Amino acid sequence: MSPTEKRTTDFGFQEVPVDEKASRVADVFHSVAARYDVMNDLMSMGIHRVWKRLTIERAGVRPGHHVLDIAGGTGDLTLKFSRLVGPRGKVVLADINASMLKVGRDKLMDNGVGGNVEYVQANAESLPFPDNSFDCITIAFGLRNVTDKDAALRSMARVLKPGGRLLVLEFSKPNNPLLSKAYDEYSFRLLPKMGELVAGDGDSYRYLAESIRMHPDQETLKAMMEEAGLERVEYTNLTCGIVALHRGIKL
Amino acid sequence: MLVTPTLLLAGCERTLNALLARDPAAPARLAALAGSRLLVRLEQPHLALVIHYHYAGLDLMRGDDVDETDVDAVVELTPETFSEWISGASIERLMFDGKLAVRGRIHLLEATRDLLFDLDIDWESELARWLGDMPAHSLAEGLRRTARWGLRAKDELMQDVSEYVFEEARLLPGPQQRSLLREHLTELEVATDRLEARLNRLQRRLEQLQPAPQESRP
Repeated sequence: MSPTEKRTTDFGFQEVPVDEKASRVADVFHSVAARYDVMNDLMSMGIHRVWKRLTIERAGVRPGHHVLDIAGGTGDLTLKFSRLVGPRGKVVLADINASMLKVGRDKLMDNGVGGNVEYVQANAESLPFPDNSFDCITIAFGLRNVTDKDAALRSMARVLKPGGRLLVLEFSKPNNPLLSKAYDEYSFRLLPKMGELVAGDGDSYRYLAESIRMHPDQETLKAMMEEAGLERVEYTNLTCGIVALHRGIKL
Repeated sequence: MLVTPTLLLAGCERTLNALLARDPAAPARLAALAGSRLLVRLEQPHLALVIHYHYAGLDLMRGDDVDETDVDAVVELTPETFSEWISGASIERLMFDGKLAVRGRIHLLEATRDLLFDLDIDWESELARWLGDMPAHSLAEGLRRTARWGLRAKDELMQDVSEYVFEEARLLPGPQQRSLLREHLTELEVATDRLEARLNRLQRRLEQLQPAPQESRP
């Protein structure tokens, strides 16, 4: 590649230079951080809580475990994990975005979570942790915003302990054509309007809908996880494939 | 559907935690249990449930894939045993009867029953959160007065109905009448016994007074 050519990546349906995507995604989440939870409840009609509960059940976290919640945002998973690991365990809430991390930290403190949770501003592509550090890693609705998803998965596999689990909860491809059509209408027409009304930012929610379409489908993500060094990778479609929960184990 | 049991568990967990938050005795009980995990296996319907205790309440999770070594106690029971257990039957007795199988820290079961089925909800404090102290206290006093009046009214109604049925309309015998009847019947029984004894005695005397038949001479 000649030095004048710039590598590009997707930002929703747009192609942007690779080194610009992180800052653009950061702008999106700075903009929506304060209303993130309200919008999640509104957009998913509360179902995102069930998807997250299922992720927690599948995580198999026990007292004393070390858990890394990447792109943990407002701390929904961390709150539950901190109770499950108890005082002997540790949960690290990591997010690339300082605004989201701040909202998450405030929310967790309001819920009485303290001693066993650490907050780290980190890029998923180069996690600042030693090899084999965590029993479980989760990334919920965060992977599609990462510029280099393969690098992020490799980084997660590196910091995972042998026998540890990686769970990726992410929007995926609906398996019913009729639902797919209705979902498109909802995402591209209704969602930006709701974003405009509630969070005062329609463009960010337009990006959300576009980024979901650009995210790899179930089988592609499974292959990517296997490529990153995870084994026994399996996925479960939730709500007809609108969301998929992938789980891989480092052996 | 995959998410339905999770949704139901989420609903149960939320309800239980809301109730526990209003029980003044719950924080001390939860502090003693915090960090413990109990695996409950119900035979019919087949259901495995993990209860994880923490300082603020409990987490309910599906326990199909949970290893027994990851929990502090495992309990296996049928719906009948479950209903006996929550209605206060001794765990030891249920175990000796072979209805309940428990492995691990058995006292977790007792503590769970105390926590969940011995709830004493402080409704007044919850009302105070919504209405303020004084209105909540007035409302709670009003409710307590209504409840006391209701109990008194129920007792009085029962008394009036029983008086009408037993005394005025005489549709049924009352306890006093029953006891009087029993006394009369006992007296009658004694009198008939005496009469029977006298008749027997009279019979014997008549037999003694009758001359013995003369022997015929050849």
